[in-house]
Amino acid sequence: MNAPRSRTALLAALTLSLASTICYRSVIAAESNTAASKFFASYARPDAVPYPGDNHPSADRELLGRTLFFDPRLSGSGWISCASCHNPGFAWGDGLPRAIGHGMKELGRRTPTILNLAWASSLFWDGRAGSLEEQALGPVQAAGEMNQPLDGLVVKLKAVPAYVALFDKAYPGEGISPATIGKAIASFERTAVSAPAAFDRWIGGDESAISDEAKRGFAVFNQEGRCAQCHSGWRFTDDGFYDIGVVTADLGRGARFAEIPAMQHTFKTPTLRNVDRRAPYMHNGSVASLEDVVELYDRGGLEHRDSLSPDVKPLGLRPDQKRDLVAFLKTLTSDDRPVQVPTLPR
Amino acid sequence: MRRAILATLGLAMAAGTIVAADQKTVTQKGKAFSVAAITIKPGDEVVFKNDDDATHNVFSTTKGQEFNLKVQLPGSSSTQVFKTEGVAEVQCAFHPQMKLKITVAK
Repeated sequence: MNAPRSRTALLAALTLSLASTICYRSVIAAESNTAASKFFASYARPDAVPYPGDNHPSADRELLGRTLFFDPRLSGSGWISCASCHNPGFAWGDGLPRAIGHGMKELGRRTPTILNLAWASSLFWDGRAGSLEEQALGPVQAAGEMNQPLDGLVVKLKAVPAYVALFDKAYPGEGISPATIGKAIASFERTAVSAPAAFDRWIGGDESAISDEAKRGFAVFNQEGRCAQCHSGWRFTDDGFYDIGVVTADLGRGARFAEIPAMQHTFKTPTLRNVDRRAPYMHNGSVASLEDVVELYDRGGLEHRDSLSPDVKPLGLRPDQKRDLVAFLKTLTSDDRPVQVPTLPR
Repeated sequence: MRRAILATLGLAMAAGTIVAADQKTVTQKGKAFSVAAITIKPGDEVVFKNDDDATHNVFSTTKGQEFNLKVQLPGSSSTQVFKTEGVAEVQCAFHPQMKLKITVAK
């Protein structure tokens, strides 16, 4: 099969195929460039990183946050830091199906990436935190995770003069408190943004940026695969919560909303940026590879519960479509800015 | 039958025991509600119309204002009557960014 040579031709075909299935090879004269350019615009990378009104970014806040993020003294054992699980070398995950916490105990869910969370509307697999500031303090205090009560942490940090100085530079007059600890970590996390990838260069007009397989895969992503229904926009997530039929007893967001049947077994849609570097997949790491992910969706989920999203249904993908889809997903991988591991104050 | 109903209504309205109920429509599109807040009277109806290409599930767990419209496929509409005064924090089960505040007041 020959892929359309020109991006415009491919996207013209895509934008006109909203209701019907269209062979991506057909080059149909687009009504105007407006539909195509709207489609492009939805993948445009933002100019700036958002932040809340009470936590403006600064170099001092980023440094303090990065120091705390890599400091294992934030755990009761003195051994686990945020970076132990959110390892920049594993695209801010840990490469494990489920996280390991205090006392080397395996936890119930996989470590999610912190990539691009500055734009997330809720945090954790079940969305229970409304801000990065709030989320940062969760794992620190959780007995099964870092097992460090916050008042004890404040005492630990206050005993290190260099930390007192760092906090005073970053948050003058606010002192060391759970609030400033959370704000600093959040400030650092907001800098974890995936760099432009080959896909972005193709969207920007470079036809040679991605392979023909990947271009066909992008068409499958938007049409037969129905992936863009939830994995939308430049972050490839709508921040929504769905049951996609993963094999699990975990209620996800539904655990806090027992009275809403449709919320049972729903988990947050993750970003697909650098997804090729973030195996294994799903909230419990039960899906080993991208090929297996495509298989799950092609089958309409592996568990068919009442709460299964109506959007998840058997797709009937051909083997070549599945391969092309994976080829496309790999174009979302970027060479991110290396993170400088801080010297921790003693 | 119709005349009997109309007669009853007329009598009831004359007696002041029925106030005509209003109906308001809130649309869901682009994974957002068409409005962030509305004010209605007790007994009014709100029609939740899914004008999106996504599935939604509108609900409220606010005490005294609980309701669950269940899964709404694209193109469908569901109606909820709000009988008691109060404020309902309404959201979508799948898209928590979708928030709507319904104030029910006489």
